[in-house]
Amino acid sequence: MRMDATKSIVACFVTRLVLSALFPSLQAQLDKSVEFSTPMTSFRSLCEGVYMLKNGFPLYGGGVVHQSPLLILLMSFVDSEHLLAILYAAMDTVVAYHILALTRYFTQSLQIPLWLPSLLYALNPLVLLSCISRSSVIFTNVCVSSALLCAVQGNVVGSAVAIAGAGYLSAYPILLLIPLCGMGQNRQQKARLIAVTAATLAVLVALSYWATGSSWEFLASTYGSLIRYEKLFPNLGLWWYFFIEMFEMFLPFFKAVFNIFVVSFIAPITIRFNKQPFYAFILCLAWITITKPYPTLGDSGFFLSFIPFFQPLLGYLRYPIISCLLMLHAIFLSPIFYHLWVDLGSGNSNFFYAISLVYALALASIIVDLTWAMLRIEYDEGKPNFNLKLTQI
Amino acid sequence: MVGNLGIIQVTTWLLLVLLFPAIHANREIGNRDEVVDCSDFYSETRPTTNGSGLLRGNLTSSADVKQIGSDKNRIPSSNEDLVERSITSAAGTRYPYEENLTIRPLPNSHLLTSFSFHMKSQKFVPRQSSNDYNDYSHYTVFPKAFKPMLDRTSTRQLSLRFTRGYWDSESWGRLPHDGFRSGGSGVELWATIESRSKDDAFKQWKTLANSLSGIFCASINFIDNSRTTFPVNSFQPNDLESDGLPIFDHSKQLYLIRAALANEPICTENLTPFIKLLPTKGKSGISTLLDGHRVFDSLWHSLSIDINTRCNNSTDTCHYYAEVLIDTVINVPSVLARNERPIPKPVPSEQLRCDLSKPFDAFRCFPLPEQTEVQYSISQIFGKHIVGSNLISDEPSRVCVEVTDRWNAFVDVNGVFYATSDNCFDLRHSINQDIHLEATDSRSVAHLEEAPVYVSRSLTGYGQDRGGLRTVFNNPSLEPITLVYFESLPWFMRVYLSTMKLDIDDSGDQELTLQQVIKSMHYTPASDRSRPTHLEYTVIVPPKTSFSISYQFDKSLLLYAEYPPDANHGFEVESAVVTVLSPTKYQTRTATLLLLLSTPDFSMPYNVIILTSTIMGLIFGTMFNLVLKRLVTVKEADILQSRNKSKLKVFKERILTKLIDLRG
Repeated sequence: MRMDATKSIVACFVTRLVLSALFPSLQAQLDKSVEFSTPMTSFRSLCEGVYMLKNGFPLYGGGVVHQSPLLILLMSFVDSEHLLAILYAAMDTVVAYHILALTRYFTQSLQIPLWLPSLLYALNPLVLLSCISRSSVIFTNVCVSSALLCAVQGNVVGSAVAIAGAGYLSAYPILLLIPLCGMGQNRQQKARLIAVTAATLAVLVALSYWATGSSWEFLASTYGSLIRYEKLFPNLGLWWYFFIEMFEMFLPFFKAVFNIFVVSFIAPITIRFNKQPFYAFILCLAWITITKPYPTLGDSGFFLSFIPFFQPLLGYLRYPIISCLLMLHAIFLSPIFYHLWVDLGSGNSNFFYAISLVYALALASIIVDLTWAMLRIEYDEGKPNFNLKLTQI
Repeated sequence: MVGNLGIIQVTTWLLLVLLFPAIHANREIGNRDEVVDCSDFYSETRPTTNGSGLLRGNLTSSADVKQIGSDKNRIPSSNEDLVERSITSAAGTRYPYEENLTIRPLPNSHLLTSFSFHMKSQKFVPRQSSNDYNDYSHYTVFPKAFKPMLDRTSTRQLSLRFTRGYWDSESWGRLPHDGFRSGGSGVELWATIESRSKDDAFKQWKTLANSLSGIFCASINFIDNSRTTFPVNSFQPNDLESDGLPIFDHSKQLYLIRAALANEPICTENLTPFIKLLPTKGKSGISTLLDGHRVFDSLWHSLSIDINTRCNNSTDTCHYYAEVLIDTVINVPSVLARNERPIPKPVPSEQLRCDLSKPFDAFRCFPLPEQTEVQYSISQIFGKHIVGSNLISDEPSRVCVEVTDRWNAFVDVNGVFYATSDNCFDLRHSINQDIHLEATDSRSVAHLEEAPVYVSRSLTGYGQDRGGLRTVFNNPSLEPITLVYFESLPWFMRVYLSTMKLDIDDSGDQELTLQQVIKSMHYTPASDRSRPTHLEYTVIVPPKTSFSISYQFDKSLLLYAEYPPDANHGFEVESAVVTVLSPTKYQTRTATLLLLLSTPDFSMPYNVIILTSTIMGLIFGTMFNLVLKRLVTVKEADILQSRNKSKLKVFKERILTKLIDLRG
């Protein structure tokens, strides 16, 4: 059993290395695809940041760099192609390891082999391709998964530091602090969690301030442009086409509405499922994946890798087939429709827009189904009774 | 003085009477096919004119340009000339104004005509308000529209370019004026502005642009911060001015600001203001040739205006100098053909020039190359004659023709042809004049200096979401060339400078790297809607080498309302500017580019709002219900529902009974 588990971790590392060694051009190709890269997370903008840093040009205040300053600083030390491949593979392997460690915690309640979730993660094409594309989503994912693991293990400081790191890298994951608080045992722990997170964030921001030559410009270029949705690029999210087509005078209002939409269900989910804080966390993660301004398939791949933890609930799902088909529909048609629109010109933007709607529906149906399953098992008090017909009033 | 003038006047009249028969004779023998012996004429007139500088032309034959008078001993050629000369002398009106026209045949039957007009303002004292009503502002020949504008915006130097067309430097050689007086396709404007801070300078710049927009009927007012750059190494005013620009207030600084509008169509409404700037207003002198139809019918044309401030430190007075240049390249056969057949019709078969050495019958005709023996006059090219000279300047209007000895150039005054040794003609008549050109072999043109470097830029990639820029530098000479490459790109091109790479021709066995070639670089990344990408680098191109520098960019989408009405036409990217610093000074520009952006569906705003909102509402509503509502079995739900229903029934009955009670 233990051997198998280790094998799945090794498989994760090897598949990534082998793929990037066998197809060296795959990285650039994926980095250009809208499904795996966004202006905020693409590897080429990271490279640009490193280039600007090395040549003494200002990093922020315009340009294409929207990554966190410390990440760019760290990446500037990794200058060899092989090292980069190893680094990204290692990062993904860390996530796979975290998933394995989490599986160990839930081994009693789950009727699945210990190695399955991590192996599914290793072979999940969405995560795999996202890793090959060297999207910086992966660093956020590492932080989120380690925060989750530390929280499950009861390591409050660890989880606080990790979630602060995730928040620092891409802003929205800081919302996961709320479900993490739900995992705290008592008030003292929760207070400590929040305090350590705030302190870590403060330190990270202060370090960034120092690293960018005593300038606050990075705040506007990273979080500012993320929250204000300044870079109009097609992606799988709900935001881009809406804001391109929106009348200018309503833009600030709807940007506020969309941001509130991201925040809206974090606290309610945490409160509603306060008995199963781990699952509440994953549902919150899914909610952010569907509502964030610059989603990639790497985000949804990461969230979908936690589906095996819902194994006891899978019988409750009402429309798993529809969800699967919607997801497949979106994943397969999105590159085709994008190509039709942008390269061939035989389709128009509505083609890709339709796909982004389908993708949102797919993720939504998964989340809604999982929430329903959570409510059902709560009603059945842990003993599944699939024959009972339930409804809500 | 008055006495002298009187004597001159008297002698002129005398001359007029004396020469009248001779001139009359000239007119009669003004047939170019006859060699005219005019030695009598020459000897007769020499003592009286005494180098007073009249028409420099001499009467000559057509075949061999026979020099009759040297430059020192110019001879009068017509009576009107003398009269006119005397009148202006008597009035004493001399203004600092000069105008020249240079005509230069280019290979393949092209013709370059360069008009230049120089004007100088009245002297003024810097730092003195012009609102002093006791102090009159005289403008004389300097355009009146400019001085208040320059004063208000503290502009020390101003350059404006209107250019369209393609200058084929591989066959036409260097650009006129070494390229420093022509812009990229569209409108280009740069100015050196004295100001306290960069922000103030920008405000003054906006004022300047808006004023110029009004003066020149061009969309210069569209220049905003998203198109404006502050060049670092290019466009330095010191490049051409030996002593730098003056600063009036030493607490301030000079800011060099530049912008270009690549998609600006240049047309007659821009030429008219140019002509209006001139003191002659297109009524006399060489500016009478400037006809909108002909100027803009050319293959390449450039209208430029440069204004500089020059100060005399000892007297603390300054002058504005304005230089207006208009250059056009015309394809002569096509212009002449259009004169003949204004409505384009096929050439009749008997007029076709066929190569008889090849198959030739009623259906086949291999055309012969253009005839190399040509003759045409400038009036045929421009559709107008030169009306007199400018009457207000010391210097007469001067026309120079730069040709080889296979060409003959004449000035045509009242049907009489005159030639000079250096093919330059000083026009002093107030009658219609014309320049006549003829060549035995039009392929032989005056030496064309080769352009020191060839630079071309193109877009790479095929998608509408990203692309690349590739600039090819080619140094054909045997010396290494140092140049500054200046590029300003719109903000929606998100440039990745890290992808910059150098490719060298495979044929050469040289190994070059970017570090070897690029000596210094200035880069200001674009900021959305507020600043263009500004890239300037100094390159050294080794001798006999050609290489390309390329980099990648992403194309951002724009907001719905930011797309122009013709969004699918594409967006013009202004040309890159190449300034050669050594071994010679030269400036050239690449062609503009047409950038295609992906567009949203413009008919969709309401649909998108509705569809996205529906999906969001669906997700939110479902989650809201799930999280908030109570979970019950279906049976319980039915019971609860029926109970609700019965309650409603009871309530309804109660109201009905009440109503009935009220009626009763």
